[in-house]
Amino acid sequence: MVFTEGTVDAAGFSVRYWEAGQGRPVIMLDQTGWRNTMLHDALAEKYHIFSLELPGMGDSAVNSTSQTVGDLATVAAAAATTLTSEKYTLIGSSFGANVALCQAIQSPHQVEALILVSPMAILPQESKANASSQEAHSMMFAHEENAQKFNPLSAEVFAKETEFMARLSAVGHDALVEAKLGDIHCPTLAIFGKNDRLVSSESARVYREKIPNNNIAIVYDAGHCIVGDRPEALVNSVIDYAEHWETFIVGHKTGVINP
Amino acid sequence: MKASLFAGMGYSERHKFPFTWPVPPAYSDPEVSVRSYQEGMDECALAEDVGFDWISFSEHHYSGRIPTGTPAVMAAAVAERCKRITIAVLGHLLPLNNPIRVAEELALLDNLTNGRLVAGFLRGTPNEDQVYSVNPAEGRGRLLESMDLILKALTEPQPFSWEGRYYQYRTVAVWPRPVQQPFPPVIVGTRSDDTIRYAAENRLGLGVSFLSVEETAVITDKYHKWCEEAGWTPGPDNIVYRGSIYVAETDELANEWFEGLMKSKPGPNIPMRRTVAEAIQSARTGGPFDLRGLVAGSPEGDVVGNALGINFLGGPDTVAKQIREFHDRCGIGVIDMPFQQNKVDHKAVMEELELFGREVIPQIREF
Repeated sequence: MVFTEGTVDAAGFSVRYWEAGQGRPVIMLDQTGWRNTMLHDALAEKYHIFSLELPGMGDSAVNSTSQTVGDLATVAAAAATTLTSEKYTLIGSSFGANVALCQAIQSPHQVEALILVSPMAILPQESKANASSQEAHSMMFAHEENAQKFNPLSAEVFAKETEFMARLSAVGHDALVEAKLGDIHCPTLAIFGKNDRLVSSESARVYREKIPNNNIAIVYDAGHCIVGDRPEALVNSVIDYAEHWETFIVGHKTGVINP
Repeated sequence: MKASLFAGMGYSERHKFPFTWPVPPAYSDPEVSVRSYQEGMDECALAEDVGFDWISFSEHHYSGRIPTGTPAVMAAAVAERCKRITIAVLGHLLPLNNPIRVAEELALLDNLTNGRLVAGFLRGTPNEDQVYSVNPAEGRGRLLESMDLILKALTEPQPFSWEGRYYQYRTVAVWPRPVQQPFPPVIVGTRSDDTIRYAAENRLGLGVSFLSVEETAVITDKYHKWCEEAGWTPGPDNIVYRGSIYVAETDELANEWFEGLMKSKPGPNIPMRRTVAEAIQSARTGGPFDLRGLVAGSPEGDVVGNALGINFLGGPDTVAKQIREFHDRCGIGVIDMPFQQNKVDHKAVMEELELFGREVIPQIREF
C-alpha cells in the first residue's frame, strides 16, 4: 500500500501525517517506529487512514510547548478535525494510546470508536533507568528474532522522546486518566500482549472495569510490540473490532468442512 | 511422602481384548461396564480408607484399559464417594481439548470438592493424537498455548478475548472461580525440556511417568535447576511420579506373579499398526515418512508398541525401598500408582490396596 505524506496545521504545530485508503476515517497515533506495518496496510484496504506523527515524537522537532499528554491530545484532535469532517475511529499504540485515551476523553463527539494497543497509562512496569535505545527496543518484543526485524530508535530520537515523556509526566501510572475512564462512552477495545514486559496485561481489567463499553483482548505470545510479535493476530482483532465494535465477539467463521 | 491411587477404572474383562488400539466398542458389554466402574469406585473408597492421600484420574480414549475419556466426569463421581482425599486429574490432554472447557471443568471440580483438586496438563501419547483429529505436528504448540490460556481463564476476574495461534475466543469469563486461589495446584506431565522449563518458570509442579529412576532424575534435576533460576523451590507435592505396581505379601509371591505374566506374553500397552504409529511419530517430529517403505495394511494386524513394565514389584519392604529411591534421588513427593495390571482382577486389586495401606504407606510416610 502506498502512503502519501502530508502536513496539517493544528493548535500551533505543523503535524506530519501519512494517508492511504478510502472509506470511513481512521486516525492512528502510532508509537515511533511502528508505522508501515501489516496493520497499516490491512486498515488501508478498508478505511481512509491518517497516521499522525505527534509533535515532539519521531523525526519531528523538539516540542517544548506541550506540557501534558492532554495538550498533545488537543493537537491530535485539531489535526484530525482538519483532516476529516466525519467522526472517526481512533487507534493509538503504546504512548500513542495514552494520547488517544486523553483525546477520547476530551473530544467524545469526534471519536466513534477507540482502539488502544498496548496502552501504558495504567500500571506500567518500572522501566530500567538509563536503558539504551537498543535495550528499550529489545524489551518491547517477546522474541529477540522479532526485535531484529525492526530498527531501534536512533540515539538522538530515543533521547528526545525520553526527555519529552518525562517532562509530560507520561512515565508511570496516570491516576488522572484512570479517574476519567468512565467518561469514555464510545466502543473501546484495549489490546495487550500476554508477555508485555513494559505494562502488565493484567492492567487490561482496569479498562474493562471502568470504561462502560469496553472489551479487552489478550494476544498470546506477544510482547509490547504486538505488531512485531504477532502481526496477524493484531490485524485480525483490530479489523474485526473496527468493523463490528462490541459485536466483534459474535462468531461468523463457518464450521462447515464439507457441505 | 504421599501415596496416590491412579484410578484406571478398567473394564473388568480387559484381559479378553484383542491387541489393537482402538479397542472396538463391540467389546463393551454395558452390564460388565457398569459393574467395572462400580468396582473401580470401590477401589477408590478403599484407598481413602487405608490411608492413600490422592486419587488420580487420567484422560485416555478408545479402550477399556483406562476408560476415562472424560476424567472430570469420573473425578466428580468419585469425589462424591470419597469426601476427604485429594482428587487429582492427571490430567487433561490439552492438545485434544477446548482449553476453556478444561478451565471450566477444573473450576467446577475445585468447587465440588471444596478445594481438594490437583490439576494436570499433558500432551498425551502419540495414539491419542488420532482422537478428535488433532494434527500431531501441532501438539506441542497447542499444549503450550493451552496452558497459558487455562491459567489466564482461571485467574482473570474480567471477561476477555484471547487471540492465540491455535485458539481464538472473543469472550472468556469462567465461572465459578476456583476455591483454591489463584488456581488449584497444577502438575505438568512431561519429559520435554520446553515444558519442564514452562513448569519451572510458572511455578507449577512436575509429573514424570513410567521411567527408570535414572531417567527420571535427569528430568527432575533440570526441573530443580530451572525452578532455582526462576527464584523458587518446589515442595514435595510439586513432584509426582507415576509408576505401575504389583505388591504381594512376599517378594517370592510377587516374582511368581511377574513370571506368570511374562509367560503369558503380554501384548503392547498401546498397540497400533506400524504404519499409523510411524506416521504419527513423523508428524510429531517433522521427520520423513514413506508409507511404501512399511508393511501397510497387513491382515495379521502388524501392531507395534511396548508392553508396559512394572516399576514397583515385590513385597511391602522391597516396594517401599524402590519408592524411596525415587524420593531420595529425584525429590519425588507423591507416588501415583495404577494397581489394575492386565492380569490382576478387582478382588486382587482390593487385597493389594489393603496390603499397601497396611505395610507400605506407614513406611513411605517417613520419607
